[in-house]
Order: sequence, then C-alpha cells, then structure tokens
Amino acid sequence: MKTFRGYIPWFILTVAILFLPTVVASPYVIGIMVFVALYGVLAIGMGLLMGHAGLFSLVHPTWFGLGAYVAGILSSRGLTSPLLGIVAAAIFVAIIAYIIGAPVLKLRGLYLACATFGILIIAQIAFVQLDDLTGGHSGLLGIPALQIGGFKFKKDIHYYYLSWGLCIASLLFCFNVIRSRIGRAIISSHDSEPASASLGVNIPKYRLQVFILTAVMASLSGSVFCFYLRFAAPGIFGFDLLVEIILMAVIGGLGTIWAPLLGSFILTWLHELLKAYLGQLFPVMTGEVTAVFFGVFIILVLIFMPRGLAGWIEQLFIFCSRTYKQFRSPESR
Amino acid sequence: MVGFWEFQHMTPLALVIQYIISGMTSGSIYAMVGLCWSIVFLVTGILNFGTGEFVMLGGMFTWVLLEAGLGLAPAVLMAVFATVLVGIIMERLVIRPVRFPSETTFMVITIASASILKGMILIACGSETRAIEPLIPAKQFSILGAVITSQTLLVLGVLAVITVGLSLFLNRTLLGKALRATAINPNGASLVGIRIRSLIVFCFGLAGGLGAVAGIVIAPITFTGYNIGLMAGMKGLVAAIVGGWTMTGTVVAGLGLGLLEGLFGGFVSPGWKDAIALLVMILFLLYRAIVSSQGVKKV
Repeated sequence: MKTFRGYIPWFILTVAILFLPTVVASPYVIGIMVFVALYGVLAIGMGLLMGHAGLFSLVHPTWFGLGAYVAGILSSRGLTSPLLGIVAAAIFVAIIAYIIGAPVLKLRGLYLACATFGILIIAQIAFVQLDDLTGGHSGLLGIPALQIGGFKFKKDIHYYYLSWGLCIASLLFCFNVIRSRIGRAIISSHDSEPASASLGVNIPKYRLQVFILTAVMASLSGSVFCFYLRFAAPGIFGFDLLVEIILMAVIGGLGTIWAPLLGSFILTWLHELLKAYLGQLFPVMTGEVTAVFFGVFIILVLIFMPRGLAGWIEQLFIFCSRTYKQFRSPESR
Repeated sequence: MVGFWEFQHMTPLALVIQYIISGMTSGSIYAMVGLCWSIVFLVTGILNFGTGEFVMLGGMFTWVLLEAGLGLAPAVLMAVFATVLVGIIMERLVIRPVRFPSETTFMVITIASASILKGMILIACGSETRAIEPLIPAKQFSILGAVITSQTLLVLGVLAVITVGLSLFLNRTLLGKALRATAINPNGASLVGIRIRSLIVFCFGLAGGLGAVAGIVIAPITFTGYNIGLMAGMKGLVAAIVGGWTMTGTVVAGLGLGLLEGLFGGFVSPGWKDAIALLVMILFLLYRAIVSSQGVKKV
C-alpha cells in the first residue's frame, strides 16, 4: 500500500507532462517548459550537492556549458552524430569532473566555494579564448538538429518530450541515489563528518561520486540545451546562471529532491514575466537586470523562508492532515 | 597608462619595466580590495562577495557626481561616503536579519547583493565604459625607457597611505584594538564589553570606504563600468586568501599577484591574464589543504 502511494506523485507528474501539450498548444509555453526541464536538471543536481552532500560547489554552470560546447562542436563539425556527441560530452565531463573534483573536494566549506568559483570563471575565460574551437564571444553557430536513429528533432514539442524525459529520469535517479549506499553515506557525512568517518564511511570517495554524477546530469542537460537553441555562447554559462541555479535550489528548499524542480518552474516563468512586463520600463533588459529582482527574491527567501517552498508546503500538509483527522474522528479528541 | 602602440619601439628591459609598473598598479588595487575582504572576514567570518561591487560603486558614483557638475574633490568625498553608506545599509538590511546564520547562507546572500548592486548601476548608468578625469595633473616620468605616469604613482601612494594608516589604526587606537580582539575571539571580546554588533557595522562601512577609494584611484587609468566588480573582487579575494588574511600578507600577495599578471599578460597572453590569478588561488588552497592534512596525520 505504501509503495503504491509512493508512486502517486510520479504518476501525476508524468500525466501532467504528457498531456500539457494537448491542453496548451501554444509553442511559446512549450518552449518555456523545455527550459524549465533543462534548468530543473541543473537545479536538482545543485540541490543534491548543497542540501544533501553539503558541498557548496559553484562550478555547476561549467558542466552545463561543457556539455553544450563538446556536443555542439563535435556535431557541428560533423565528427560524430549528435547522439554520439551527447554521450562523448557526458564522458568528457565525467573525466574532467574527476580530475577537478579529486583534489578540490579536499577543501572545506568556504574554501571549496572559492576554488570552484575560480574554476567557473577560468572556464568562462577559456570558452572565450579558445575561439578556434568555440567561436569566442560571438558563440558557437551551425549546430545541426538532434537526430536519433532516423528520427529528427525539429519541433519544440520533440524537445519538450526529450527534455522532460531527461528531467524525470534524473529526478528518479536522484531519488534512488539518496536511498542508496552513496546517498546514506553523503547525508550522514553532512550531518556529522567525524561520526560517519569513524564508522568507516569513505567520505571522499562518496563525495567525489556524487560530484561526478551531478556533473554528468548537468552535461546531458547542457547537450540538449545546445541542440534546442542551436547556439552556445560563453555568457550563457557564467555568473548569472549560477545565481539562478542557486536561487532555484534555495527557493525550492534544500534537503528535498523534488523541490529544486519546483524552483526551476517558478523562476523560469518569473523570468519570462519580468522580461515581458519590465522590458518596456527599462531601456537595457539583459540577464543582469533580471538578476536584480532575483537577488531581492533570494534575500527575502533566505531571511523569511529559510527552508524554502518545500518547507512551507510540508507545514501546510501537516496542518491539513491534522485538521482532516480531527474532522473525521471528533470523539477521539 | 601609455598606449599599446608605444610599446613597439622599446628595448626589452624597458618593456619588462613597463609591465612591472602596470602590474604594480593593478597589484595595488588587488591589495586594497584584499584588505576589504579580510577586514570583514576576520571580524565576522563572512566572505562578502559584495566587496568587488564597492570598487565599482566608488568609480561609478564619482563619475555620476562629476557628470552632475560637482568639482573633483567633493565628488570623490561624496562617492566614498555614499559607498560607506551602501556597506552599512547592506549589513543592516541583508546580513543582520538572517535567522539561521551559516557560511552558505551568508555567501548566497552576499552573492545576491552583489548582483543587485551591479544590476542597479546598469539600470541607472547604462552599460558603457566610463572614464573619469585624472585626479592629479598628468605628468610622465621616464625610467630606463619605460614610462610611469603621475596617476600610477598616486595609486602606489594611496596604497602606502592606506596600509600605514590601517596598521596604525589597528595597533594604536582603542577601536582598532577592539577590532583585533573581536577577530581573535568574539565571545571573549563581548565579555569585556566590546559591542560586536556595532563593530560589524563599522567593518562593513570601512570595507565599503576602502573599496571605493580603490575604485576611484584606478578609474582614470583603466576606466570603470558596471561590470568591473566581479573581477576586481575576485582578485582581491585571491590576494586575501594567499596572504593568509593578515594585513602585510594581503598587501604583499596583492602586489605579487599584480606583477605576475602584468608579466604574464605582457609576454604570454593578455586574454588568459585573468585566469592566472584564480589558478594561483586554487593551487594555493590545494597546497594548504594537502599540507594541513599531512600535519593531522603526523599528530
């Protein structure tokens, strides 16, 4: 019975995703929902790192960018098929994440954040400087459409199903990861490192594994992103994206796997609303202007809602079920 | 700063000296920004990612006030004062009300404040690069064929004044001693009657003021704009971390970093120049982590 009830949210989510395009046919909504899913994958990874593992790694947008660039470069030069490009990008990112993570994850707290922030900026400089490969400031152009077997991904709706497939898969994957040996190990090490280390948990190993797994998730999302936009530019994968991902994870609530996806949904739509309504107010409307509103939002959430929306919803649920029980059995009070 | 085209007909020695001079100039700025980071970090334990934006604010406020028709001296003074105010408001508005303080929370909050400040300046002043007029009459001196301008000397002089002034303040005045005591042991400091809350406000104000001064003295040389804060802040952070959060260490590390960058940018690749500083920081942190873990094993 309990397992059955556990499947209900998945069932609702899948049905909602499957039937959204038939209810709302507008390509605009479908296009935005693609971004919700892709940023959602990033935010879920960031939430797993920050909330469960306690690793404040700021290098997450770089994995997204590397996934986009490697898959984009390989397929735009005709070296591999797009699908193979995605796989190659994921493997490449896994290797790089291993090389970077193995030494860097030895650092603690703030120093880990500083070092990973440095890597983020170095990567952005590299995207600009290696302009033979990446196209520099003007970006990577000429990425072909994604093709798997004989099927060509042309319309928004194709990418919609692909990206939400990826998103739900990574959500399921993360749920299973935190219930696995790795997950229990990182959660226990986040709660008390000396205690879990003295019980024989190999903390560095599990931390590195989680780091690489989330990097690969971000890379897959980045590859789909570049095939959807047919474009990649260094500015996309920088500081602004980092602020947004952190915001998604924090607004959703840390310590819950599904909450960052909710954060991604809210933020991406808020982004669109801001763009639509504030575009007339301000002459310059770039990511940096919306970042002002997101910044205010982040601060308000951290001050007034430290556990995010997930904590708020949880309290609402507890309140509702308590009232419901009281309503059902008044004599047992 | 002399234009790049003038470098063509210089002897190699003069070229090296020229790169050293420009490296020292940016190094002084990194040292000043590094001091802003370490003042706040030592007293509060917070990494204030808004530090770089203070540098940007100093330059941009001065530009705005100069555009409004103020004289140079009042514009500079008011810009510094305004940035001090921004630092204090930031502490009161976003740092103090946090209910569950943790390193991560403060870091996210200061990163968010940095992007707010940056975006507000973008909205108010536009995205163009801004230049402000030279602070002192422009003169050029020649050392072995290399050119040093009076602006460069001013930057070095300001760094010297700030370093000496800050060390006198920290060692000789009661307030400075209270700051040092709080940095060493906050609980002990509050037990002997030091009001830590107001000291923290003071620290944010001081960091804002120092950052603004750094931003103003560099603005005639490298120009200013809404987006210089991130890089200036990161270089300062590198200087503070490599300098071990001490004052002398930070100043030395900042100057060294500037030298390294100037020579690397001049002889190897100007594009990768910014990456070098961050690479130095990462390698230093790793080296320190490895050394400290070995130390634990021995004990």
